[in-house]
Amino acid sequence: MNPRVVGANLFVKLMSVYREKTAMFFTLAFPIILILVFGTIFMSQDNVAFHLCVQDLDRTDSSTQSIKTLESSGKFKITRVDPAINAIQYVRDNKVNLVLVIPKGFERALLQRIVLGDADASVTITYIYDPSSSSVSTKMQILDAVFAGINQQMSGKPPVIRSVEKSILTKKYRFIEYFIPGIIAMAVMTLSLFGTVNLNTELRQKGIIRKLSTTPITRTEWILSDILYQFILAVISTIAMLLVSYAVFNVKLHLDAWLPAFILLDVFAFVGIGMILTRFVKEAQSAAAAANAISFPIMFLSGSFFPIELMPGFLQKFAKTLPLFYVNEGLRASMIFEDNMAALRYSSVIGVFAAVVFVLGIMATKWEEG
Amino acid sequence: MTKETTYAIVVEKLTKRYGELLAVNDISFTVGKGEVFALLGPNGAGKTTSVEIIDTIRAPTSGKVTLLGMDVTKRKYDIVRRIGVLPQGFSSFDRITVRETLQFYLRLFCCMNTDIDALIELVNLKDKTKEQYKNLSGGLRQRLGIAIALVNDPEVVFLDEPTTGLDPRARREVWEVLLGLKEKGKTVFLTTHYMEEAELLADTVAIISKGEIIAMGSPGELIENNTKYLDLTLQSVDEKAFEVVRKMGFDPLLDNHRDIKVRVEHTDDVQKILSAIKDAGALYLGLDVRKPNLEEVFLKLTGEALHDGYVEEKGAE
Repeated sequence: MNPRVVGANLFVKLMSVYREKTAMFFTLAFPIILILVFGTIFMSQDNVAFHLCVQDLDRTDSSTQSIKTLESSGKFKITRVDPAINAIQYVRDNKVNLVLVIPKGFERALLQRIVLGDADASVTITYIYDPSSSSVSTKMQILDAVFAGINQQMSGKPPVIRSVEKSILTKKYRFIEYFIPGIIAMAVMTLSLFGTVNLNTELRQKGIIRKLSTTPITRTEWILSDILYQFILAVISTIAMLLVSYAVFNVKLHLDAWLPAFILLDVFAFVGIGMILTRFVKEAQSAAAAANAISFPIMFLSGSFFPIELMPGFLQKFAKTLPLFYVNEGLRASMIFEDNMAALRYSSVIGVFAAVVFVLGIMATKWEEG
Repeated sequence: MTKETTYAIVVEKLTKRYGELLAVNDISFTVGKGEVFALLGPNGAGKTTSVEIIDTIRAPTSGKVTLLGMDVTKRKYDIVRRIGVLPQGFSSFDRITVRETLQFYLRLFCCMNTDIDALIELVNLKDKTKEQYKNLSGGLRQRLGIAIALVNDPEVVFLDEPTTGLDPRARREVWEVLLGLKEKGKTVFLTTHYMEEAELLADTVAIISKGEIIAMGSPGELIENNTKYLDLTLQSVDEKAFEVVRKMGFDPLLDNHRDIKVRVEHTDDVQKILSAIKDAGALYLGLDVRKPNLEEVFLKLTGEALHDGYVEEKGAE
């Protein structure tokens, strides 16, 4: 391998992207936009208050007190619904996803149970809901928890099982801080994969690869220069993402040598995959489609945007076969948990994967035409 | 001395198939050192496939190609260091300047001693060194492509349709560069569908049609062997002259009702016609005697005329 050849290739690629300022801007802007959008959405996730409509058909002191209890939990902003209105129609007409209906006889049932000690006395609160809404099940779960608390208090006995929260972390992290390592991993993946596939199919279509095949450059030199090029772009992109995160969201992340190490492994893995993909993609137009088909499932299933625990069991198992999962976990291990052993474990997995696809990428790269 | 060491290129029974399509069919020829060799034929005749097999871009189906004494299928990396290639439809990095592009290819060949300025001067790109590739015209791009093909001071230069798509002026500028290579004694392998390009530049022309070489020799030999006539045109003649020529046993044509065109076999016939017209007291304002060119050779050999790389059957409108 000749470093001069790798350097010459790297220079041409860097000069090309430097002089193509619009492409450079959008390459860097995409992950920053993601961070700004998701960061803003989830900025106050810990103090999130859902909108809840309540229709009080009982209109007694007890029902009013129950609504106040719901409001004081801090989880809901209450809107009162006129008892004369049909609650189902109200959900449909007003595009709300849930109306909680307190029935007539609510206070009477409570008094029968508490004052008269009638163990059979009970009251049923109805949730009128729109199942197509994604947040409605969360609302109903919170309501169930609140009513379980009220039931328990009314029993007059202390709870048998109590719970207390103890974090494994010394600092309290916000959602955005868990989110940023995932976005870095995802951004580096898309940069490397799309960059490699797009650039190589374009060069092949323009006949530049054919010209290069009549020079002494080897496939290894070509791929190594591509990896170095993508690594430099990935480092610039990561620095930009971190600067925006620190400046806008005042994040607190642990930065050490693991960060560039995981970026490099991420680049190696996805440039290799890109090279393999380039072998099968003939036209520049289909290159983006092919890269999308690979990157989108990886992006959403590897835990970049949300924890894989939310997925069905078989998908969780599948997620653990994806390279980006190990970059995500490795970056979180180093940037949040400061767990070097876990970072080492994850880096070993992605390192082996990167080495294999790098070799396959070299084998798949074809200078000569058929 | 073997054939492989005597000649720069030895092609033996070369065949290339793309599935059912037979692109090159059992062709054989040699190219001497310092020779300019042109493979002439219409689009789709097998020119590019042949040159791309010889310059190591493509693998043959069967047959053997020896370039500078080396088998092209076995010693690609030794060969590419000693050849220069301008592939068909040459292109380069859009945002890289002329000088940077040449420096890039120099580094790939590790020829740091090559004088870039001399190369730039050779292809007459002195005023364009800071221009990015995307801003160059077609002719300038081809000249840059030729300069790239020369960065490693190659022993054999392959130029695949170097003037296709260029306007006549740009084409002539490229020809000047190629004539410069010829003067320097480089072995040049050229493919083209322009007859006058082959005639002007090549020492040897091989005419290829439907994957087969149908004739080969110097332009003069090809014309001599395949066309034994001269075309005489007499301008602004009166009708009496037409009758005189016809009565001599020739088959004259009246062109634009003004000119007589007559095909003769010997230069003596020209003299006889002119004397007979003079004796008959007929008049003409000018005359033109033209030898046939490669175009007529191609027409005779294939029954097809060649226009802009595409064939047109004899007699077709």
